[in-house]
Amino acid sequence: MASVQLAEVTKRFGSVAAVWRLTLEVRDGELLTLLGPSGCGKTTTLKLVAGFLAPEEGRIRFGGRDVTTLPPEHRNVGIVFQNYALFPHMTVAQNVAFGLEVRGRPASEVRARVGEILERVQLQGLEHRYPHQLSGGQQQRVALARALVINPQVLLLDEPLANLDAKLREEVRFYIRHLQRELGITTIYVTHDQAEAMVLADRIALLRDGVLQQVAPPEEIYRRPRSRWVADFVGLCNFLPGQVLGREDGSLVVETPVGVLRCAGAADAGRVVVCVRPESLRQDAGGTNRIAGVVRERTFLGNLLDLRVSCPRGVVLRVQLPPVRDIRPGESLTLAFEPQDAWAVPEED
Amino acid sequence: MARAAELTGPETRRLNRLSPPPALLLVPAGLFLVVFFLVPYLNMVRMSFLTKAPGAAFTHVLTVENYLRVLQDAFYWRVIARTFWLAGLTTLLTLILGYPLAYTIARAGGRRRPLLLMLLLAPLLVGAVVRSYGWMIWLGRVGLINQALRALGWGEAELMYNTLGVLIGLVHVYLPFMALAIASSLEQIPADVELAARSLGASPWRAFWRVTWPLSLPGVFSGAMLVFVLALSAYVIPILLGGNNVLVMPMLIVQMLLDAFHWPLGSAMAMVLFGLASLVLWLYVKAMNRALRWIPR
Repeated sequence: MASVQLAEVTKRFGSVAAVWRLTLEVRDGELLTLLGPSGCGKTTTLKLVAGFLAPEEGRIRFGGRDVTTLPPEHRNVGIVFQNYALFPHMTVAQNVAFGLEVRGRPASEVRARVGEILERVQLQGLEHRYPHQLSGGQQQRVALARALVINPQVLLLDEPLANLDAKLREEVRFYIRHLQRELGITTIYVTHDQAEAMVLADRIALLRDGVLQQVAPPEEIYRRPRSRWVADFVGLCNFLPGQVLGREDGSLVVETPVGVLRCAGAADAGRVVVCVRPESLRQDAGGTNRIAGVVRERTFLGNLLDLRVSCPRGVVLRVQLPPVRDIRPGESLTLAFEPQDAWAVPEED
Repeated sequence: MARAAELTGPETRRLNRLSPPPALLLVPAGLFLVVFFLVPYLNMVRMSFLTKAPGAAFTHVLTVENYLRVLQDAFYWRVIARTFWLAGLTTLLTLILGYPLAYTIARAGGRRRPLLLMLLLAPLLVGAVVRSYGWMIWLGRVGLINQALRALGWGEAELMYNTLGVLIGLVHVYLPFMALAIASSLEQIPADVELAARSLGASPWRAFWRVTWPLSLPGVFSGAMLVFVLALSAYVIPILLGGNNVLVMPMLIVQMLLDAFHWPLGSAMAMVLFGLASLVLWLYVKAMNRALRWIPR
């Protein structure tokens, strides 16, 4: 196992920088997800780490060893591709054995290790099937076994769940997490699905247009986003533009269209945007921050009531309340939230 | 459901009538093949069992004499062997030349691909006769190559009216068929598969031999079959570039039918060629199916 370090890595396609001055460390044994919309550079980053692409600038290191110019076959990296990229002309056992065979391992060892890993991913009995004779979930596990059997220093997963149906996806997600923890293997997991990133990651690295936006554990990304874009990309969020008035009892005091609010935040002055998650708002006449409004729309989500509430000066807030009491459109209510549940980020873009 | 009930109504029946059953779709091509292929072929089978008559092409006396003559004469076997040898060698050479070509086309991106395809296919717009004459300008005794050799004081080379000339012509004419078949097979291989092999520790060559090459075999097999059959039945190229020095079965058959006016013997020779070719292809397809048993069926 090894950590992975990217230092000021830039990769251009023509005049477009797919990855721009990316500095990122994946710690030893950590699962880091690269999250971002399509075209943000996450797959390019993965290919740079795998050695399929070479950066124009910057260095890539595995545990301190510079691998920037090392070809993929010498990096000892296990990869699970989005379409699995199984060898269609080889059986399950031959697919898994491939990495050991090209390393010139003796046949007896190959057989033993292939059997071992197939048992681990619960594919015993399917050794002699061809990939097209397997279900999507089974193919996915073959891909995982093939990548893991070589004891890679780093495991790379490129949207490995994208081709599975919703129910299986949930199952495999936890399975991958379990396996990764058990093996303690340094893992980079590329996805555009924030729910997947939340469940799996030790830390999330958010990319936008090839530029790193924030690296942090899921909870920090969600509760303490570095920018409005991050808050918007991960989960639902209400944004209230405002002017910082000062600090009071550790809270930031911000003047917004719906009144003066107290919130958490790093900024101390200037224009900010206050981010309030829909589930941070509750119906309460006694909270620190209070906003009066009228319910415009109501959607029943089973575990939640999803509301759109009209507030002063044309502000519309998205609110998610536990459905303990039904609330109907036209009803007036007072919304409240505590300072630590809202986060001010600098106004930008 | 009400909609489902409607689906069996008269409207649907009329719709069904609009799309004919699949078997019916085969009728036009089938009719064409029966009239212009099967009937003449059967006629030739019949002809091969008839007897040559003096002053006429044949007479209605049944015999196996024609087959015995073909099969018992070492001369015919030598021609048959030469025909198969030339076809096999042509197949091998087009494969060796065509594979890198196909690989380049399959991997070429953007605007280069149609251009390369165009270059590959352009010669097909000119018939084999014209192209053979083109080769004669190059390869002949007073051809461009020999002129150059003489100018350099290196004497001259026998490039035409021998096996070499025929081979050059055959390889040139059938190369596009091989390259196209392989290219279409290569294009279907997902790029990730080769990358997966690399990531698992295979060098570029190893990844090619263990992954790309076996996955391109469907194209190699179909290209080889196509070129082999075409080269086996080639007539114009052996005549023009081989003169009468490289005698192959199609030439012999035409001579027998047109010059010797011996239709039964010519037909028997054609049937022997057909039979042997079928045998070779049958063995070939069996071997191919074994090698490609990983393909979903």
